[in-house]
Amino acid sequence: MNPHLNRTLGLVTLVALLAIALPWLGNDYYTGFFFELVTWIALAESWIIISGMTGYVSLGHVVFIGLGAYVAALTWMEIPLWTIIPLTGLSAGALAAVIGYPCLRVRGPYFVILTFGVSELVKFIIVNIESALSQAGRTLFAAPDINDLYFIGLGLAWASVMIALLVRDSRFGAGLRAIRENEEAAETIGVSVSWFKLAAFVLSAIIPGMVGSLLILRSTYFDPLQIFNPQTSVLIVTMAVIGGSDRPFGPLLGVALLVVLQELLWANLPQLYMIIVGVLLIGVVIWMPGGVYGRLQRAFAAKPTAARPT
Amino acid sequence: MSTQLLIAALVQGSLYALIALGLNLIYGTMRLLNVAHGEFVMIGAYIAYWGITLLGLSPIIAIFLAIPFTVALGAAFYFGIFKRAMRSREFVERIEANSLLVFFGASIIIQNVTALLFTPDQRAYHYLEQIVHIGPAQTPISKLVALAIAGAVCIGAVAFFRLSTLGIAIKALIQQREASALVGIPVARIDMICFCLGFAVAGLAGVLVSMTEQISPYMGFPFTVIAFVVVILGGLGNMLGSLFGGLLLGVLETFGVALTAPSYRSIMIYAVFIAVLLLRPQGLFGTKRART
Amino acid sequence: MSLLTIDSVGKTFSGVVALNDISFAVAEREFVGIMGANGAGKTTLFSVIAGNLRPNRGTITFADQRIDGLRPDHISRRGVARTFQIVRPFGNMTVLENVMLGAFYGRGRERSAGAAKAKAMAILERLGLADRADLLARHLTLAGRKRLEIARSLATEPRLLLLDEVLAGLTPTEVTAAVDVIREFHKSHEVTIVMIEHVTRALMALCQRIVVLHHGQKIAEGTPAEVAKDPKTLSAYLGVTAQ
Repeated sequence: MNPHLNRTLGLVTLVALLAIALPWLGNDYYTGFFFELVTWIALAESWIIISGMTGYVSLGHVVFIGLGAYVAALTWMEIPLWTIIPLTGLSAGALAAVIGYPCLRVRGPYFVILTFGVSELVKFIIVNIESALSQAGRTLFAAPDINDLYFIGLGLAWASVMIALLVRDSRFGAGLRAIRENEEAAETIGVSVSWFKLAAFVLSAIIPGMVGSLLILRSTYFDPLQIFNPQTSVLIVTMAVIGGSDRPFGPLLGVALLVVLQELLWANLPQLYMIIVGVLLIGVVIWMPGGVYGRLQRAFAAKPTAARPT
Repeated sequence: MSTQLLIAALVQGSLYALIALGLNLIYGTMRLLNVAHGEFVMIGAYIAYWGITLLGLSPIIAIFLAIPFTVALGAAFYFGIFKRAMRSREFVERIEANSLLVFFGASIIIQNVTALLFTPDQRAYHYLEQIVHIGPAQTPISKLVALAIAGAVCIGAVAFFRLSTLGIAIKALIQQREASALVGIPVARIDMICFCLGFAVAGLAGVLVSMTEQISPYMGFPFTVIAFVVVILGGLGNMLGSLFGGLLLGVLETFGVALTAPSYRSIMIYAVFIAVLLLRPQGLFGTKRART
Repeated sequence: MSLLTIDSVGKTFSGVVALNDISFAVAEREFVGIMGANGAGKTTLFSVIAGNLRPNRGTITFADQRIDGLRPDHISRRGVARTFQIVRPFGNMTVLENVMLGAFYGRGRERSAGAAKAKAMAILERLGLADRADLLARHLTLAGRKRLEIARSLATEPRLLLLDEVLAGLTPTEVTAAVDVIREFHKSHEVTIVMIEHVTRALMALCQRIVVLHHGQKIAEGTPAEVAKDPKTLSAYLGVTAQ
C-alpha cells in the first residue's frame, strides 16, 4: 500500500491517543467542549464520504443522527451501551440503504432538497409515532458521564478520519471521484455507479448514527423535534465545505473554526453565529474552492514541472 | 364542509402557484435553482407587517413597497455576489453544487439577519379579519383578498404568456436560449425583466402570505421547498405547469390534512415531493428526457 | 465468426426516429468504419451499443451474448469500450489517474493500485502521453484529451473499441500521428475497432469495411472502394444521382 498513507494513518492514531489525556487537563466544561469538537469531526468526516467524494450534497444528514438517537432512546436500559452504539450505527446504515436507493437517482439541487425533505419526513413520522405511543419525550436516566461520552466520541472521530483516508486512497475512492467528475463516463468505463453511490451513502451514515446515540445520552432527553434539527445538517455541510470537502483533513479545519466560534457566540448571539457561518460559506465557495485546507495546501505545495499545456 | 376546504385550498394553491412562478422565472434566466427564494417571500411578509404596524399602511399598499425591495435585494445579490463568482473558473466548473451553496449561504444570512433584527418570534397583524359567509363556508375577508390578488396575477400571467409578445418571448427564451437569440429575441433585456419579475412576484407573494398566516424569520425555507415541489410537479421552466402544480398542491395539502390531522401537513408536502421526484421527475406536464 | 452483431436495431426519441432497422456484423479483429452526415445516427448507434441508451427495437449481440438493455458498466466489463464525441475526461484528476480508472474497472479489473499504475503507464507510453502523466486532465490540449480518452478506454482491456470522431478538431499533423497510433494499436493488440469518422482519408486508410448511415438508416456497406463508388452514398453526400 501507499507508504505515505501508512504514515498518515499512524499520525492520526497518535494524535487520537494523545487526545485521550485531554479530560484530565481541565474540568467538565472543557471536556464538554472537546466532546463538541470530536462529535462534529465525526459528523463532517463521514459526510464527505458521500458529498465530498461523489458530489451528491446531502442536506439531510441529521436524519441519521436522529434515527440513531431514537434507537438509543428506545433501547437504553434494555441492552448494554456497547450493544446500543453499534446498533445505532447499523440502523442508520439500514436507513441510508432504504432512502439512498431511490434518492441517489436524482441529481444536483434536487438531491439536496430531496435529502432535506426525507429528513423532515422521517422527523414528522417519528413525531407521530411518539404521539401515537403517547410519549411526549423520553428521559434517559443514569446516562454515562461526559468523560465516557468524550472517549467514545473521540473513538468515532478517529474512526471517521481513518475511513475518510482509506476510502480516498482506495480503488473505491477513485471510482467515487470519477463519479463526481463525470458520472456517465465513469459508468461507461465500468464503474457500477448506482452501487458505488449507495455504498458511499450507507458508509457516510453509520458513524452519524452512533453520534446520535452519544448526543442523546448527553442531553438525556429525546424529543424528535429537537434532535432532527435541520440546522445540524446545515452546520455539517458548512463545516466540511469551509474546511475543504475534497480532502480528508479539510473538515478538521472547518470544525475547529466553527466550534470555537460557536463557543464564543452561541450563548448570547446565536443569530450572529449563523450569519457569520453564512458569510464564511459564501466566501469560501467563491474565493476558496477546496476550502481553507485546499488554499493552505496550494500555498505549501511544489509547482508541477509541466505547468503549461502541451 | 367541503366548500370551506375548497376555499382554503384555493387560497393556499394560488399562493403556492405565485411563489413557484417566481422561482421558475428566475430559473429561466439564471438556469439555477434559487434556494433562497423563500427568504424573499419572507421579506415581503415582514415589509407588510411593519408597514401596517408602524405606518398603518394597508398591505395592499405594502405590496408596492415590498416589490421594489425584493427586486433590489435580488439584483444586489446577483450582481454583487453571483456575477463575481462566475468570473472564477473553478466556480463555474462545479457551478451547480457551488451556486447551491452560495444561495444557501445567502438564505442563512437573510434568515438570521431578520431574526437578529426582529427576534425569532412569530408575528401576525390584524387586517380585514371579519368573517364572511360563502354558502356553508366561512372565511376571513383577508384570505379572500389574498386569493383575489393571487388569482388575478396568476390569470394575468397565463394570459401574458399565451398572448403577449413579451410573454411568448420569455417562454421561448426559457426553452431554447441560444435559438431565441438567433431569432432576434433581446436576451439580455428579457433576462433582466424575468429576473425582476421573479423577485417581484416573490415579494408580492410574501405580502399576501402575511395576510393569511403568522410570519417568522424562518418561514422561508418551507416555501422554498414548496416552490420546488410545485416547479417539479409542473415541469421545470413550464410557467403554466407551475400554476396548475401550485393549485394541485394546495388541494392535496388542504384535503390531505383534513382527512388526517394538521400535524401531517409537512409529511404530506414532503411525501408528495419525494413521490414526484422519484416517480415522475419530469413533472406532470413535462416531457421525458432520454436516459442520457 | 462475428464478435458484434447488430440486428434490426431501432431507436426513437419522442417521435424522432434516430435509428431505423440497422443491421450489420463486425468480425473479430476487424476495423470497421461508420460514415454519415451529421444527424445520421452514428453516435446514437454507439450509445445504444455501449448501453448509454436502450434500443427500442432489435437486438445487439456481443461475443454470443445479448447486451441490448444492459447497463453501461456491465457492457464495459464484457469488453466493449467507447470514447465520447465530446470528450469526457475526469478533469480534476491527473492523466495517469484517468487511465488508472480504466484499468481498475472495465474488463481488466485490476485490484491493486500498483498493477493499475503499471498498466496505465504502459498505455500512456504507447500513446505518447507519458510525459504528461501528472498533469491534470483539464490542462491538456484537445489533441491530448482525445488521446487520453482513447488511453482510458484501452486501459479497460476491451475486445471491442468504439471510437467516436477521435480525429475531429485535430490539425492535419495531429491527424496523421493519431492515425498511426490507432493503426499500430489495432495491429499489435487484439482489439476490434469500430470507428465513426468524418475525416474520410482516415477511414479509407484504416478500415477494411465501411458502413454508411443516413437519416438513421444503413444505406451502404462494403470496402472503402466500393462505398466510395456506391450511388446511394454519393447522392446522400453530394446530392447527385450517379450515372
